[in-house]
Amino acid sequence: MKNINYKGYYFIAPFFIVFLIFNVYPVFLTFYYTFTQYEGYGKPTFIGLDNYARIITDTYFLEAFMNTWKIWGFNFILQLGIALLLAALFSDLRFRIKGLGFFRAVFYLPNLITVSSVALLFGIMLDWQYGSINQLLLNIGIISEPIHWLNQPFTAQLSVSLILTWMWFGFTFIVIMAGVSGISKDYYEAALMDGANSRQTFTKITMPLLKPILLYVLITSLIGGLQLFELPMLMSKNGLGEPEGSLNTMVLYLYNQAFRYNNYGYAATIAYALFLITVIFSAVTFKSMYRDAKVMKNRGE
Amino acid sequence: MKKFFIVCISITLMSVFAAGCSSDSESSSGKDVLKIWSFTDELEKYGAVEKFEEEHGIEVELTIVPIADYPTKLRPALESGVGAPDVFTGEVAFIKQWTERDYWENLSAEPYNVDEWEDDYVPYVFDLGKDPEGNVKALSWQTTPGGIFYRRSIANEVLGTDDPEQVGEMFSTWEGLFEAGEKLKQAGYRLFADEGAIRWFARGVDSQPWVNENDELIMTDAKVSYFEQAKILRENDYTAFAPEWSPSWFASMDGPIAYNGGWEDVNEESKDKTEVFAYPLPTWGLHSVLKENAEATVGDWGLATGPNPYFWGGTWLGVYKDSKKKDLAFEFVKMMTHDEEFLTNWANETGDVLSFLPVTDKIQDTVSEDFLSGQNNYKFFLEQAKAIDANAVTKYDQEIDTLLGTHVQEYVDGKKSKEEAVQDFYKAVKNAYPNIKTP
Repeated sequence: MKNINYKGYYFIAPFFIVFLIFNVYPVFLTFYYTFTQYEGYGKPTFIGLDNYARIITDTYFLEAFMNTWKIWGFNFILQLGIALLLAALFSDLRFRIKGLGFFRAVFYLPNLITVSSVALLFGIMLDWQYGSINQLLLNIGIISEPIHWLNQPFTAQLSVSLILTWMWFGFTFIVIMAGVSGISKDYYEAALMDGANSRQTFTKITMPLLKPILLYVLITSLIGGLQLFELPMLMSKNGLGEPEGSLNTMVLYLYNQAFRYNNYGYAATIAYALFLITVIFSAVTFKSMYRDAKVMKNRGE
Repeated sequence: MKKFFIVCISITLMSVFAAGCSSDSESSSGKDVLKIWSFTDELEKYGAVEKFEEEHGIEVELTIVPIADYPTKLRPALESGVGAPDVFTGEVAFIKQWTERDYWENLSAEPYNVDEWEDDYVPYVFDLGKDPEGNVKALSWQTTPGGIFYRRSIANEVLGTDDPEQVGEMFSTWEGLFEAGEKLKQAGYRLFADEGAIRWFARGVDSQPWVNENDELIMTDAKVSYFEQAKILRENDYTAFAPEWSPSWFASMDGPIAYNGGWEDVNEESKDKTEVFAYPLPTWGLHSVLKENAEATVGDWGLATGPNPYFWGGTWLGVYKDSKKKDLAFEFVKMMTHDEEFLTNWANETGDVLSFLPVTDKIQDTVSEDFLSGQNNYKFFLEQAKAIDANAVTKYDQEIDTLLGTHVQEYVDGKKSKEEAVQDFYKAVKNAYPNIKTP
């Protein structure tokens, strides 16, 4: 005990000081605000559990919750589907597709563009009157009159979902490919010799061995998805989640309550609700991941 | 020794983090620095800052924050006093909120005594800078009432006259507006660019504040009929589907645009091009919007009154209450708002319609705007400014107007019945401001 050198603490102190001031303190301060009515200036008024009572009955919050799930859910299924399909193609020994590095970079590119640029770009492309997407669809003859993409709840949510898919499938693809390259080639060669077809190889070898990676993708995407904010905000006309509140996500709702309407107390409550929701869903997913990891270990023995 | 060394390093590391918090009030050249925050580059554009720097031998540090981020950036600085400016401007959207707070110095008190200046200003402009107790917190050099800019050649052709008085007479009632809209449509023109254009007339002649002193939302008949009026415009095809600030909106000021977005292949009826007849715009709309976008139509414009007077925008400025250079800061405010020589130059240079009457009295009779075929817009706007009531402005206006517009749009698009749209509007207001009692 005597020989412990405490001097090391000096060196790690700066991190902890910054962490305490800028991370821990705000978390607790926000918790305090959930019990107050606070306009962002002056002193917060203590109102007990009123904010919590409000959020339970708040139909706007419920709507935002559902919107977030719809937009994220559709995007995730599609994104994973595309990434898996591509992974199957690239990992198949029969096809021997060249230039994996090149494709990986190309698929990842949309993720490098800032969200605001993406929103601007698609805002122009999805324009009802002058947008190139409508023009293209009309010229091919798929639709007979222009679709008002961002003025109808369903198409607006669909558009945002598809844009998110476009932005993120490359990332998912890279992670899955990393998982695939971790699977021993022996399995595939053995399967090839035994006469397994592509589908069998994929469902019987690739998929089971990829499970931990897929769960990792699910958790990170879920946490990111619950915080969906920039794209819906920038794609809706006044940033209120139009049309008809269909792009109103939980974080956008939080943002508007705090910085548009100055209801900081209620916004803090939304933040905590969001925190709780994230914890619950992550815990559920994490649990299945843990269970799966154990299965893997046993199989290894 | 070793311990000393470690402590030294720790202190160095800590001071790196602390460095961000320090502030200096002297520039590198050793001159005094006056910090100004604004959301427009107006102050810089026309040499105001330069002039002030020369006159007082100081340096002005002007920070321009885009309007969308302005309140969010400024508020923490004002609340904490860290990095706060000495002078800052406020837009009409937040002027009411900020005068209520302890942000701006009370200019009614000693040594400023600006109450003595009251008669020098357009009343509504001076009143909007007051807090609820009637103390002046901020002043403005400009006044921003609006009118309806219209195309004279089209007016001559369709309405039989291009005289602003007579056009204004036709536009003074909704019936008159729609009648003109019908005539224009028959002749192949469109009254307005889109339905949003009439929002300034949504409040009607009897301009009540959105929220009264009992925190009750006031839904006047005029506001309710705004739903109908917007719908009439849409259903009768009096608009050109060119939303404000869209490329087609700007293009429509200089000539025919493709009606309905130019879907020639799709809709035979929409093959025609159309021209927009009129744009409700305020003072600054002439210089910043119309003049910027019109080339072929220069000189073909007139300016008439609408169903009711209105104003749109405006910039106020005041002294930060904890500024250490209040005298200097006030000098700047004074130059911008109460310096006859400076403001005369400003008016001539920018064409801004001033709220400072000693200057406007001098120049208003001599103005003849070529763009408006010689019409005197200065006198027109000053006349309009007289009818504006500052009491109808509340801190909620910006957001409630946005919510109203959104719900009117949903009704116009046929997504909701009028009753549903109105009820949803109340619900949205209640959600944004739980303290407001809705009908």
